[in-house]
Amino acid sequence: MFITFAFVTLLGALGMLLQKNVIVAGLCMVATFFGVAGLFLLLANPVAAALQIIVYSGAIMVLVLFVIMMLNSHEEETAQTARPVQRWVSVVLVAVLALGAVKLVLSSAGLKTLAVKGQPMPGAMTLQQVGTTLFAEHLLGFEVAGLLLLAAMIGAVALTKRNL
Amino acid sequence: MTGMDAILNGGLQGFLVVALLLFAIGLATVLLRRTLLMQFMGVELMLNAANVALLAFARYRGGDAQATVFYLFIIAVAACEAAIGLALVIGLYRHRGTTDSDRAASLKQ
Repeated sequence: MFITFAFVTLLGALGMLLQKNVIVAGLCMVATFFGVAGLFLLLANPVAAALQIIVYSGAIMVLVLFVIMMLNSHEEETAQTARPVQRWVSVVLVAVLALGAVKLVLSSAGLKTLAVKGQPMPGAMTLQQVGTTLFAEHLLGFEVAGLLLLAAMIGAVALTKRNL
Repeated sequence: MTGMDAILNGGLQGFLVVALLLFAIGLATVLLRRTLLMQFMGVELMLNAANVALLAFARYRGGDAQATVFYLFIIAVAACEAAIGLALVIGLYRHRGTTDSDRAASLKQ
């Protein structure tokens, strides 16, 4: 089950990286988000899985696809200046970073003991637990997040409106 | 459950490897693609990779609800970033008729 969701996630991400058409890349991104939601389910966290599908696949990707369709360029424009050196250096850097980090994770002794024991969990995460923690310990953060969303909403309207 | 076994059956290391590869693909998207929308999607991918790692650690340390609360905050920030970022892309397209980041290297016309 884990390997299935991991494959869906990584193949969707790779498809997004390699796809020329921006709309198809966006749909690959939706597949990635569903794969990540599956991974959250396997982590006994259905709350996060539901939020992932509602907010990312439902809201953010719909917004992105709307913007893609509003701009009438679905293909990547031809490069103004070819930059082969920078591109190859970034490919090598990303590959070295990924392989090094994966090697580090696989050889870490602390992670191994944590993965073997994996402290016991009373049950799957419930919305009640999340709500209690949110409003008992992070009330200020919750209010600030609400203010931030309001500011972003006003900012987006102000930026897209032609003449305010 | 260690090493290869953990990767195949979904131990902590398996989730971390998926998160790392997701982050690397997102970083490659930001660095290699020139369309601003694609770079934006790469940033979303990197945020998601961080979320996977966060919730995996929370699960293997006994399932603390704090991690899910912070995941909620990360989602809120990502939604703000999406709204403002896309508004900026639309503004750029109106001014220059392009979404190519190379063609928008200077703020002046």
